[in-house]
Amino acid sequence: MSAESTSRRDFLALTGASAASFLLARPRGAIGQMVGGSGPFNDYRALVCLFLFGGNDSFNMLVPRSTAEYNAYLASRQNLAVAQTDLLPIDALNPDGALYGVHPSMPGLQTLFAQESAAFVANVGPLIVPTTKAQYAAKAVALPPQLFSHNDQQDQWHSLRGRALSDTGWAGRMADLIRQNVANQQLATNVSLTGNSLFQSGADTVAYTMGATGPLAFQGFAGLGGEQRRAFERIINASYDSIYARGFAEVQRRAVEAADRVTAAIAQAPPLTTQFPTSSLGQQFQTVARLISVRDRLAMQRQVFLVSGGGFDTHDDQLVNQPALLASVSACLAAFYAATVELGVAQSVTTFTQSDFGRTLTSNGDGTDHAWGGVQIVVGQSVRGRRLFGRYPSLALNGPDDVGGGRLIPSVSADQYAATLARWFGIVDADLARVAPNIGNFAERDLGFLT
Amino acid sequence: MRTTISGGTIAALAVILAACGGSSGSSGGAPTPAPAPAPPPTGITKPEAFRFLNQATMGATQVDADRVIAVGYEAWIDEQLARPASLELPYVQSIPLPQNIQDLHRDRVDVWFRNAVNGQDQLRQRVAFALSEVMVVSQLGALGNQPYAVASYQDLLVTQGLGNFRDLIEAITLHPAMGVYLSMLGNQKPNQQGTIRPDENYARELMQLFTIGLVELNLDGTPRIDSTGQPIPTYSQPVIEGFAHVYTGWTYANAPNGNFLRAQPLPANQVVPMQHYSAYHDTGPKLVLSGVTIPAGQTGAQDLDAALDNIFAHPNVGPFLAQRLIQRLVTSNPSPDYVSRVAQRFNDNGRGVRGDLAAVVKAILLDAEARGAATVSTGKIKEPLLRLTQLWRAYNGRAADGGFRAFASPSTSLGQGPLQANSVFNFFGPDFAPGGEIRAAGLVAPELEIATEYQNTQVTNTFRAYTFNRNSRSVGLPADAIVINIDAEVAVAADANALVSLVIDKLLAGQASATLRAEMLNLVGRYAATDGPNRAAQAIYSVVTSPEYALQP
Repeated sequence: MSAESTSRRDFLALTGASAASFLLARPRGAIGQMVGGSGPFNDYRALVCLFLFGGNDSFNMLVPRSTAEYNAYLASRQNLAVAQTDLLPIDALNPDGALYGVHPSMPGLQTLFAQESAAFVANVGPLIVPTTKAQYAAKAVALPPQLFSHNDQQDQWHSLRGRALSDTGWAGRMADLIRQNVANQQLATNVSLTGNSLFQSGADTVAYTMGATGPLAFQGFAGLGGEQRRAFERIINASYDSIYARGFAEVQRRAVEAADRVTAAIAQAPPLTTQFPTSSLGQQFQTVARLISVRDRLAMQRQVFLVSGGGFDTHDDQLVNQPALLASVSACLAAFYAATVELGVAQSVTTFTQSDFGRTLTSNGDGTDHAWGGVQIVVGQSVRGRRLFGRYPSLALNGPDDVGGGRLIPSVSADQYAATLARWFGIVDADLARVAPNIGNFAERDLGFLT
Repeated sequence: MRTTISGGTIAALAVILAACGGSSGSSGGAPTPAPAPAPPPTGITKPEAFRFLNQATMGATQVDADRVIAVGYEAWIDEQLARPASLELPYVQSIPLPQNIQDLHRDRVDVWFRNAVNGQDQLRQRVAFALSEVMVVSQLGALGNQPYAVASYQDLLVTQGLGNFRDLIEAITLHPAMGVYLSMLGNQKPNQQGTIRPDENYARELMQLFTIGLVELNLDGTPRIDSTGQPIPTYSQPVIEGFAHVYTGWTYANAPNGNFLRAQPLPANQVVPMQHYSAYHDTGPKLVLSGVTIPAGQTGAQDLDAALDNIFAHPNVGPFLAQRLIQRLVTSNPSPDYVSRVAQRFNDNGRGVRGDLAAVVKAILLDAEARGAATVSTGKIKEPLLRLTQLWRAYNGRAADGGFRAFASPSTSLGQGPLQANSVFNFFGPDFAPGGEIRAAGLVAPELEIATEYQNTQVTNTFRAYTFNRNSRSVGLPADAIVINIDAEVAVAADANALVSLVIDKLLAGQASATLRAEMLNLVGRYAATDGPNRAAQAIYSVVTSPEYALQP
């Protein structure tokens, strides 16, 4: 066996972890580096991140409907504006002087908001420090690298610390911080329904990835009296000279190890009466609900799920495409919330959105381009619902929030948004800066949308 | 046409002479040529030839290895460069229009596999595949109903992928598939009020993803650092906007009544370059790279020429493209010196020409780092599509009609498919590093981004289906089933050692780890000696699902 495998064995012996293959090897001296004071836990909590890939045009999702503010919106958005009378009205418990409505394709979200199960966080985006238009123009403050670029801003949302696909993400770091206090969990803290992500990548832990409908079984592994599987395992457990072959074998090892356990657990999931949309996103949310329903069987105490929808990069045909995209988000959020109520975990599960960026208020003819801040949704019974958090920006072109073309400076930072979620998840204040590294630059460490 | 010849130049010469014999029919008195002098031995071993071919083709085969061993690497490349491209569009156009035009994408994928598996222009196919993962368009999205456009785009990459890079970026810029995918098609000048401005999508991605990247690079691909230790951005938002104004006024050719806004995709206009409609072109000055401003008052074509010249001249293009193509063809983590050598070849092919892609590809494949001894971090993971094409090339995989139409959804079975990426960011990113020792070592492994637990299981199961259930001894298969030919394996299958050696020879150039060989013998031995088909399928399955087959050394 290689030196690598040896240190990994030693490490596992030290931690005694059950979901052993989701812990990464580290040199002995480094063990404990990321352990903080978060946990142990005597309850169950889950965060579900809905990532809207491409950059959701969220200023068409939450729209001012009071006349003065709507007129400013209309003047900026022109042919892309939602008609004032089409907006589905919402009334916040903490009014900011304007009235708002949601996009007409989102009745489910309107209802969640009215029921105090959903809130909006207005104009969130990556920032290093609080930033004004004058500071932006004068380059007087540090800015996240490569604003307005898809992958860089996704990375920024995921990692909160600059461009680096080889970095860790903030959910990964949460899993790192609590790993020794959730050592009995039978599955990784982080589960992705939508492929690898920087968001869930830790220094000491990795995410487990399954498909929209759950994990897959290896076909034929029972064959030859089980020898098919055993031989496969011996092959992937052999030592390889190439670092790439070892990396590939490592994934295979995790896949073999977890597939049976997770499949068996899910098979025990009680049938849900809640109906989900049949879309991929609906399937992803349904699978998350099923996994949550067997949380005790897998001894899970803390989970972060990642689901995603794509197609939000509406450079073209926005008026045709956006209604269906938002309708899907609304219907899936509503169904998933209903499922958590059905399972009796609505207070223990918080769903939140992230997206690359908001989009330009101005039009490129039939669509919009990459911008910066945007509106995010949080859902759950722990959410202080029917409220608007942060600050809804001025939508005036060349207004106080616009750095050009209707690209709006975030009013609150992605770090503040993440820190608020992380505290609810159980990360103690002393550990918060390890999750959200820029949080110390902001006065408000908690945006207050969770109780 | 000559790649099917094995046995070196003598046999090749004989066939050429026979083909050129002139007289009709076989006269029986064909002249016997004097034996050609034996070529100088290349000294290339079979594992070395396989390594080279897995970099330069869609999968190493015995026949191609024989050719490489006979003529050497550079001569093999030169032979390939002389070959005509195997195309997709004529095939797709030959299919009667189905009720749902989207179904033609299945025929497009079919012919992609026909060319990838059986095309004689293997180097073109592999380079086109590499470029298709850099200059991405995808069937998924707006091009779902434009299969001709996507086939035509692939043909562009196959025909021009070894030409000059300046020509290539002009061709992709004006191709309607790219126009649709990154929304330059239909992009128009701003209105007076400033509420409508040009679309920035193509302007951004042509630079970020296809040509220069985000930060200034040294010749060796490392970022240049300013006096404060920070990388230097290659462009700012005003430059994006400058290029966005350049790319105004283009849409499908032959719009009805010349009406720019009403142009629609037709089978004919989605396969020819976009046309310029001057009324929709912005004629103001445009800020581009390197502090250059394109002057006001030019035509759309003049602006485009100036803009692409401006990008092409940027010093990043050589190192940027070198890094991308080396990663796609040879290794995930090239040394800076390797990148530098290839970038120099991009900058000057030795005859004073910049952007000669054939010279670049040759430099990549002949470099000491590609040909020298393997280390712990040379090579890369072979992406699933290439693992499958290698299997099908080695085992003559195909349906009875020679096609692959039954392989209907590669993106489900493999996590990727021909021109089927989820976004312009490709199936995986060039700087993905999985947690664990690869990241800890500061290395990347792009292909592992799609090697998730879920997707690896899916691929493993796909290989089970295409070995055990889809082979030349399977019975009761549908007529369009794609089968591998295992007749030679079945013939020796009673002798487990002979069988295992044969399979390892065909797929791994005879080199397998002791563990893999032992487990193959163990598993094969569990079937009756008379059960040739299962013995053969088992041996092949064990190899193609192994880490050592997933590795491109």
